[in-house]
Parts: sequence; C-alpha cells; structure tokens
Amino acid sequence: MQRTRILFLALALSTGLASAQAQVGQPGRLLASNCFQCHGTNGNGPGFDTLAGKSASEIYQELKEFQSGKEGNGIMARHAMAYTDAQMQLIANWFASQAQTSR
Amino acid sequence: MQRRHFLNATGAGLATSLLAACGGGSDPSLGSDAPQPVINHSRVTPTSTAVKSRVIVIGGGMGGATVAKYLRLWGDAISVTLVERMPTYTSNIMSSMVLSGQRSMSSLSFSYDTLRSKYGINTVFGDVVAIDPVAVKVTLANGTTLSADRIVMAPGIGFDSVPGLGSSNKMPHAWQAGPQTALLASQLKAMTAGLNHNVVLTIPKTPYRCPPGPYERACLIADWLKVNKPGSKLIVLDANPGIVTEVDNFNRAFTTLYANVIQYHNNAEVIQVNPTDMTLTTDMGETYHGDVVNLIPRQRAGALIATAGLNNATEGRFAGVDVLSYTSTVAGADKIHIIGDASATTQPKAGHIANQEAKVCADAVSRILTGGTPDPAPVTNSACYSTITMSQASWLTAVFQYDAASATMKTVTASSAASASWNGDNFSEMGTWFKALMADSFA
Repeated sequence: MQRTRILFLALALSTGLASAQAQVGQPGRLLASNCFQCHGTNGNGPGFDTLAGKSASEIYQELKEFQSGKEGNGIMARHAMAYTDAQMQLIANWFASQAQTSR
Repeated sequence: MQRRHFLNATGAGLATSLLAACGGGSDPSLGSDAPQPVINHSRVTPTSTAVKSRVIVIGGGMGGATVAKYLRLWGDAISVTLVERMPTYTSNIMSSMVLSGQRSMSSLSFSYDTLRSKYGINTVFGDVVAIDPVAVKVTLANGTTLSADRIVMAPGIGFDSVPGLGSSNKMPHAWQAGPQTALLASQLKAMTAGLNHNVVLTIPKTPYRCPPGPYERACLIADWLKVNKPGSKLIVLDANPGIVTEVDNFNRAFTTLYANVIQYHNNAEVIQVNPTDMTLTTDMGETYHGDVVNLIPRQRAGALIATAGLNNATEGRFAGVDVLSYTSTVAGADKIHIIGDASATTQPKAGHIANQEAKVCADAVSRILTGGTPDPAPVTNSACYSTITMSQASWLTAVFQYDAASATMKTVTASSAASASWNGDNFSEMGTWFKALMADSFA
C-alpha cells in the first residue's frame, strides 16, 4: 500500500503533475517551504530532522517549545519566534499531510 | 504510455530540440551532445495541449534553479525553460573554504541534470543578449528567440570596474565562485611567509552579496595564515563605517583570535589600484600594499537587468520588485519577475534567502497563471553559518514577514540574531545546512 502510494507520487511528479491545478496555492505549503532549505523539499530531507508525515500536534508542540525558549537560544528557537500561532498550525498541518518518502 | 505522457507534459517538439541544444542530457532518447543548433522561434513554442503556460527562467544560480523546480512542482502544467550561461553551477556558499584548502572546486559544482530528469525542466545553455519585457521575449547570442507568458530573472550580481585594475587578474574578487576562486587560492598558497608579507581583502559598500561573507572570509584566511604563513598579516579595508553584520562575533574574532594577524580599517573605500606594484589607494588617501589582494568591488545587479531597463532601484544598481510576486516595478514590465541578489528588497542578498524568494515567486506565478492572485502574506527566511576558524562556525538568521503598510518584507525582530559565539557543533551543522540547501535548490 505504502509502495503503491510512493509509486503514485513518483508518477505524478514525472508526468509533470497532471493534477496540479488542485495544487496551486495549497494552504500552508508556501509557509512550510521556509523549512525546506534545512529539512529537505517537502520536509523529506536530506538535512536536519525529517518533518514529512510527522503528526501535526507534534510539530506544533515542538515549534511552541522552541518559541518559548525552553529549547535554548539556537537557530530553531529564533525561527520559531518569527511565526504566529496560526502560521505554526498551518505549517504543522501541511507537513502532517505529506507522505514520508525514503531517500 | 508514461513516457509519452512525460513528453507531452514538457512539450514534445520543444523537448527534443532544446535538450539537443543543451548537451549532456541524462536521457539519451531526449538529447545528444550534438553541436548546438540554431533554434528558431516556432520550434520552441510548445504545441502540446498538455502545456498550459510557459515560463522562461534566466540564470541558474540559487534563485533560478529553485524557481524553475518549484514552478514545475507547484504550477499547473507550466513548461519551464531555464537559460543559463554555464553548464554547471559553482556554489558561492562554502567557496571561501577553497582558499583555506578545505574544499575542492568540484565539491562546489552542481549540475542541472536532476532539474531536467526529475522535474522536466528544459535547459538552454547560452548568453541572453536582449529581453523584451513587454513582448515577454528573450534573445540569445546565437539568434534564438524564446517567448513565454512570464520571465523570471535571476542574474545575480555584476561588479563596478575599479580604476586602475583594467583586465588584470592579479587582484581577483573570487566573489562569484569559479576560476577566480581557484586563482586566489593558488596566489595565497604561493605567497612567501613572514613579516611584512600582507594579504589585503577589501569589502565594498552595502548592498553586496552575502553580508557576513567578507568577514567570514577574513577570519578563515587569518586562521589559515596563522598556521601556514606565520608572521603574515591580513589587512581588511572596509568601505563601510563598520562591520555590517554579526558585529559581536566578527569584532571579537578580529580583536582576540586574530589580534596579531588582522588589521581592520573602516571607512576605507578603495578608489584606485595598481596591479603592477600591487597597491591600493583609499578615499582617505592612504595606500596599502598586498602580496595577495582579494579585491571585492562594489556590486550591482547582473548586467541583464540594466540591459532590460529594469534597474530602477538603489540608484540604478538593482531591480525594484513587488515582494508579493517579485514582479518588476518598472511600468509595462509586469510579466517580468526578478529574484535573488539582483532585486532590491529589504532582504539580504544571499543564496539561502534567494531560494525562499524563488518559492514565493513560483507560488505567485503559479497562482497568477491560473487566474489567481499572489499569497497576500508571504514569509521568507535567511540563515547561514560563518567560519570563524577553520573548524568552528557561528550562525546568523532572520525571518521576514510581509508588511502590508510598507509593502516590504519586514524583519521579525525576535527572529533576527546571531549565535552567542562559535563552536565545532555549528561547523558540523554548517555541512548539513549546505547539503540540504543545495538539494532543495538543485535536486
């Protein structure tokens, strides 16, 4: 089942995204793409922690902890401080909706 | 069937002629290394109904590669043609480590093969000589004309000429990674060690590419000199009133780690050089000599921006854009988008944020081409690591939210910060960041 899904995704990609119309302007995706530089395209690496397919609540909680300073004063804490609560929820929901692909 | 579908989606007639032109295509059925043919305009116009719109991307650096990729990922059957001068991209990021002998030039080289094979991007390698912003047409040096619904320009930077330098290669900038990087590395290596032997590094007035970059390079060269050319000095001539970013870290490194190596001069703009006797004169009337001179001139957008008449900002140096879509603010050029270092925004000129500007632009173009409007609240981010020593690094970051009142990307104050110091963990993270960033842009 998982394999089928990966194949489908690969096919969708190689066919130039035939169903792309529905993809244009997907909510949360552009916001979430700020994470891609370090966590990989769609959160699927290579890079720091894989975000694709993680639960939305987990991603949201982690961002909130970074934002609160509980996780120190590192580069992720600074990033988390930039987003509104609504933006964090959009980001978390979008990554949760992504299939984790093996790379 | 799948193959057929793929060809349709990218414009079959188009793909064959263009991929043949670019050479080195990874799929032998699509291209060959045959000499570049002259392609007439009609042959690059997709005839397939599967293609709904066309975008030309000019420049295959961090911004150009990323926007091409994301137009294919996010757009509705957009045929994307990337026009680039060089067959491979050489990363500026990490390129100062070639000077310290820690990286090879080949480790900075990124091909366009994945953008072609995985995303169906057409590549054309050649020089753009003219852009018609109104007709949305591009003319190449070989006479080819390309047209599209939109053009995204990512031509990077160009340099002011420095009086006295002429065509001499004795004072390389090495600020566009490539042959000059290797040249500067070899000049440093060949330098005689000891007292009275100097390296000079010059820093231009802002805005220039990669704000922390020259200071990072100064630290790296200083650390390398300590080990490899003991007794030698590094003279830093900064045209700005002071260190322009990450002041605490760079100031501390200059005055502690490198107190006996770096001589830092602020408000020292180089106005004349003599490559024969290897001297530089500043606007304060002082003259400095260097055995090796890394002369980084003042910068402007890549020449194509002025050629197309789009250099309407920063005293004519850069291109004004609407940061919701990166559309040019020149009247009548509303189908031309400019991203990355060539555009004038409140954001820094650097590869990481060029990648994010590219995504905002790709999202906006995708929406516009399907009858929509750009996201009204884009966010971008900048992040980078700086080598303070040959094994330790700092970091610098900022996030920008769109501010409707000023129509600019505004720094979120709490997010704008540098690491409190430098360490080996940051140096290791720098490697992960670089790998991830380059994959998000080129793979």
